[in-house]
Amino acid sequence: MKILIVEDDHAMATHIAAGLHPRHRHVERVADGYQGLSLMARAHYDLLIVDRMLPKLDGLSLVRELRASGRETPVLMVSALGEVDARVEGLEAGVDDYLTKPFAMTELNARVDALARRPRLGEPATRRRVADLELDRLTRTVRRAGRTIELQPREFRLLDYLMSHAGRVVTRAMLLEHVWEFHFEPQTSVVETHISRLRAKIDRDFDGELLHTVRGVGYSLRAAH
Amino acid sequence: MRSPVLRTAAFRMALWQAALFALAGAALLGIVWLRINDYAQDELRGKVATEMASLRQADADGTLVMQLRQRLAALPAGPDYYLLTDAQQRVMAGNLRYRPTAVGWHVLPLLGAIGKDNSDADRVHLYVAHFPDGRWLVVGRDNRSVVELGEVLSDSFIDVGALAIVLVLLGGGWASWRYLRRIDTLGARAERVLEGAQELPLVGSGHGDELDRLAARLNRLLERMQVLMEGMRQVSNDIAHDLRTPLARTRQRLEASLADGMDAPCLRQAIGEAVGDIDDLLATFRALLRIASVEARQRHSGFEMIDLSALFEDVAETYRPVAEDSDHPFEAHIAAGQRLHGDRALLTQMLVNLVENALHHTPMRSRLRLELQVQADAVIGRVTDRGPGIPPESHAQVLKRFVRLDSSRNLPGAGLGLALVAAISDLHGIGLVLGDAMPGLMVELHFPRARLG
Repeated sequence: MKILIVEDDHAMATHIAAGLHPRHRHVERVADGYQGLSLMARAHYDLLIVDRMLPKLDGLSLVRELRASGRETPVLMVSALGEVDARVEGLEAGVDDYLTKPFAMTELNARVDALARRPRLGEPATRRRVADLELDRLTRTVRRAGRTIELQPREFRLLDYLMSHAGRVVTRAMLLEHVWEFHFEPQTSVVETHISRLRAKIDRDFDGELLHTVRGVGYSLRAAH
Repeated sequence: MRSPVLRTAAFRMALWQAALFALAGAALLGIVWLRINDYAQDELRGKVATEMASLRQADADGTLVMQLRQRLAALPAGPDYYLLTDAQQRVMAGNLRYRPTAVGWHVLPLLGAIGKDNSDADRVHLYVAHFPDGRWLVVGRDNRSVVELGEVLSDSFIDVGALAIVLVLLGGGWASWRYLRRIDTLGARAERVLEGAQELPLVGSGHGDELDRLAARLNRLLERMQVLMEGMRQVSNDIAHDLRTPLARTRQRLEASLADGMDAPCLRQAIGEAVGDIDDLLATFRALLRIASVEARQRHSGFEMIDLSALFEDVAETYRPVAEDSDHPFEAHIAAGQRLHGDRALLTQMLVNLVENALHHTPMRSRLRLELQVQADAVIGRVTDRGPGIPPESHAQVLKRFVRLDSSRNLPGAGLGLALVAAISDLHGIGLVLGDAMPGLMVELHFPRARLG
């Protein structure tokens, strides 16, 4: 996978490039918005990591230009501006995900994974399946090994999100943003509590654990090997 | 440099008013003049007609010539003119140079009709009669009465008009001067407030007029500015006091790990601890920035109509398991269908902060209640716990940044949760009331009626 990093802070760019998972190691770096845009026009990249504040052409304008020229390349914006308003501005400009500096590399990798494999067009699937676990978004039912599992609405959303990222790691922050729409860090173990309840419902009475904890990073829903 | 009074908008308005007044006066004069002219002319012709009738009578009595001479002798410079000629147009009596050719009304310039000028009149109205025996009788009257009336009229109009314009200008000048004085008073006070004097509020005249309203608005503006300035100062103080301590601690930890004799595992542990410290600091920093950004936020930008009941339900659904896992019985009573104009993300965080506060500061097995109540057309959100509560004298204190009561010093946190709640409720105009639940803390959110859907 080819990734372009547009970041004027050399130390930060090096840190990002070095920290990306080996499977994302095909990385190019530029230090300002114009170079970023002209490179994007000449070559194909699978993902763009853009700093928000850049010399010459700022990150938001770069993404707007990119989207205006019809390119759908996934964009992950990293910025020291973490306020909800700044985030919303980014998403409105056409950014796919927004990460506030400073961030852990595990968080960045999880988000890069999520973006890289995300289906960009078409209807989201109405039925999801991981091993013998099935989820139907229309009837809002969940079954495992043929047995119906009763879930609370929030647990359903949580499982839906986990299944849509099956096989990949999702972080606590990603879950808070997408399942709870919390753009802040709660002081209590909200995610852990709900994960453990969900786990009790989908894993405890069945063979083969599906919902895995990835220590220090987050969670992953995948079939046992 | 013109006087400031002359440069006020009020004085310019007075000038315009004076000009308009003069124009209206001129128009009025014109109309009155035309009407009076018509009237006076009718009068004049009426008199001529009466005279003609009386002279015809005299002719019938055979005293016409005598009567004509009598009249001319009685008032030689009077407004009346007569002429009697025979069939060959030879003058038998009269003072007109005019020679009649057709019967009926004629209007002639005075000079041509009598051969001499008269300062008071310029025209003469003549009525010509032709007797069956060929004689002509002409009776006329000049328009001196009309001209005199016109002069009197325009003189008085000019006098009154000049007086009115002077009054308008004086009044305008006075009003401008008063206006200017009040504006200058307001301005000077605002200036002093800007320079840092604690001089609020600006006072109006108490008439409730536009200047008073302006003063009230300026007051709100200055108040807001003072709050912002105060906030800025406080943020700087907070950063100086409350962020330095943990930074110093981290520095000490790292410095100690530089000392000789540390093996790799020890170093790793020290670095890990330092990273933990820095993460805490970053969290504090984030919270501070968030409060500052909420406080400085453009009022109501990004507000939308949101389902307040659903928001409460969401928080209840999210925190019920969390509360139960930490052994806090949790109950929620949420009125359905309540809507509020506000910022969803901020309101969610406000409620989450209150619920998490209650979870953190209460012992196990103490009950936690989340409510949204509709009371006599007020909507009140309430988070009640059964913990130690907050003494009433500290209620105002705990809403400030970095304030932590002694009873919670050993718990994690930076003392910013309630400060953020206060900032968000302030942004939404929500009344935030801390009360005693006997025992425990009861936090009430009085949602503003104006923003309810």
